[in-house]
Amino acid sequence: MKIAPAPTATPAVPVDDQRNLYYALVKTRRFDERCRRLFKQGRFPGTYFSAVGQEATTVGPTYGLTMRDVITTSHREIGAAITKGMPLVAILRQIYARADSPDKGHSHPCHFGYPAVNLFTPASTVAAQTVVGTGMALAFKMRREPHVVLNFFGEGATARGAFHEALNFAGVHDLPIVFICENNLWAESVPAHLTSRIERFSDRAKAYGFPGVTVDGNDLLLTHTTAREAIVRARAGKGPTLIECLTYRWYGHSEIDPANYRDAQEVEYWTARDPVARFEQHLDSEGIMTRAEREALIARVDAEIEEAIQQAESSPFAPPEEALNDVYSFSPAETFPTRDAGSGARGIR
Amino acid sequence: MKTVSYIEAITEALAEEMRRDERVFVMGEDVGLYGGVFKATKGLQPEFGPLRVLDTPISEELIVGAAVGAAAVGMRPVPEIQFSDFASCSFDPIVQQMAKLRYRSGGGWTCPMVLRICCGGEVGGGLYHSQTNEQWFFGTAGLVVVAPATPYDAKGLLKAAIRGDDPVVYLEHKRLYRWVRGEIPEDDYTVPLGNADIKRQGRTITIVCYQLMVHRALEAADILSREGIELEVIDLRTLLPWDREMVLSSVRKTGKALIVHESPKTGGVGGEIAATIMEEAFDDLDAPVARLAAPDVPPVPFAPPMEKFFMPDAAKIAARCRQLAAY
Ligand SMILES: Cc1ncc(C[n+]2csc(CCOP(=O)(O)OP(=O)(O)O)c2C)c(N)n1
Repeated sequence: MKIAPAPTATPAVPVDDQRNLYYALVKTRRFDERCRRLFKQGRFPGTYFSAVGQEATTVGPTYGLTMRDVITTSHREIGAAITKGMPLVAILRQIYARADSPDKGHSHPCHFGYPAVNLFTPASTVAAQTVVGTGMALAFKMRREPHVVLNFFGEGATARGAFHEALNFAGVHDLPIVFICENNLWAESVPAHLTSRIERFSDRAKAYGFPGVTVDGNDLLLTHTTAREAIVRARAGKGPTLIECLTYRWYGHSEIDPANYRDAQEVEYWTARDPVARFEQHLDSEGIMTRAEREALIARVDAEIEEAIQQAESSPFAPPEEALNDVYSFSPAETFPTRDAGSGARGIR
Repeated sequence: MKTVSYIEAITEALAEEMRRDERVFVMGEDVGLYGGVFKATKGLQPEFGPLRVLDTPISEELIVGAAVGAAAVGMRPVPEIQFSDFASCSFDPIVQQMAKLRYRSGGGWTCPMVLRICCGGEVGGGLYHSQTNEQWFFGTAGLVVVAPATPYDAKGLLKAAIRGDDPVVYLEHKRLYRWVRGEIPEDDYTVPLGNADIKRQGRTITIVCYQLMVHRALEAADILSREGIELEVIDLRTLLPWDREMVLSSVRKTGKALIVHESPKTGGVGGEIAATIMEEAFDDLDAPVARLAAPDVPPVPFAPPMEKFFMPDAAKIAARCRQLAAY
């Protein structure tokens, strides 16, 4: 599967921003690879959904959002979580399902949510976040607030009715939402060409009356500037944009998937288009960061990661009775005193 | 006090809550310009405008999913599903979002919203416009399921639901909309969620019911009291979490229980209540716990004689109670 030639020349991005973008990019890559290793070493349960290869697609658009802007994601947006400001230790505690995890061990390893930075905790249902994110954008419009919603999903998600319902509604009401389709060419083991008659998923925007654009999702500055333009548009009340980022996941759907449905040439083609190496070349050639500076930064990132791992691994599991909390706003024993007194629910909290 | 219909009580609750709190808004199919297919939202759009009383496309997954999103960022949405039968199209946001958001985020995100769903038979609506499908939601921890029977409860429960911090599925019965009238206070009031209500005291048999069946049970109680059988009619009002304490203490007093609902028997709410009574109050029982429900066919058949056959009514309740009383 070939990629479309990268459109347009690289737009201007201030140097400081480029350095910050690199930090988020490299942190995402190093952390993601490290999480894969941790899983292979059997250090946490479940599975792990790597996004290695797709970093530019999540980091670029997320960088530069305000704290009040909301991000809604699915299972492969660790780059968005990191860039929005979710601490590594919080991410790891969730992966490890330890006490003090944001989800208290209730949910799923790669469904990262962090209310403090308006990173919305996702559900597993593919495309579910499209309707929910649309409702958030509706709330912002109703309250005349300038915030936007950045809504991430895979190309596989665009087949679902929820996606259609969300984009249709967002279009009708010119809602402040930017839809970002991460087209990594595969939905689990099913290739994109078997799930859609059209080649460009951004074409779907036509049906909803707002712009759709396809970009090279491995070009960090391009994903950043394209999203930035769409965000400005959304904030100005001019409605949604659908951005398709062409990218690739290097590994299996999750770490328990050997991904042997893909041919080696395809993987080779795409790993040669590594978004990280590509941005490093750019930083070098533009003289924005020297190799030595980059290496020092990577060493710092790696130290951050090791520190977070230590912290997370030294957290205990929450007591099993934690399973009974956060079902309702009240603890079962108090507001509904009729609940089973012997269930163990009484007195927790 | 003033007298209003069940639907007027609902409209009043919506209007008053929208006036009280600007975070409250209504969205759904035909709720705006038209005022709702049953007119539950009549008069709201002229007062609150097209954005707070929002006509949506026919997109049930969007209606509920968007409400979840709006609730998560601080609004108090009250979306409407026009006919409970079509809640099937919004099942994902109901069971995966509304019910789980607080839990999956360890309390970090919450979902304070009220999903109004219009349900109920005895209206000649046929297979796709008549079912009461409370059992779809009853098995979903994380939801609060409310099902009022009277105008007083309809208004008070809806207001409590809107002010609360939990996701509520609020089931309103379309047969009750105009058929039932009742007194409500002139002033603001709420009815707490989670509490059942004894609609009639009695010593012979405890009837556990809700919505339309409360009225049918009260009719049966009138008939039976002439025969010396005194029904204690408990209106659950909130189905999930349900008021175990009130049901159990009533059964401990009467020693006999009949649960009545208009949805089919298998997998219905009645099975859970019956099992709980057996677990908790077996020693106090003088007869096996009984259930009266609709037959296990897709609800609700259309031909009028078939619909009548399908629906539990006062005569069927009375007949079953006579058997129980004689046991
Ligand atoms: C509604 C639904 N159906 C099936 C699944 C199982 N599932 C999880 S991810 C996935 C593939 C998603 O593909 P895509 O949207 O392209 O995202 P990607 O994994 O490529 O990032 C499937 C089928 C699910 N989570 N939800």
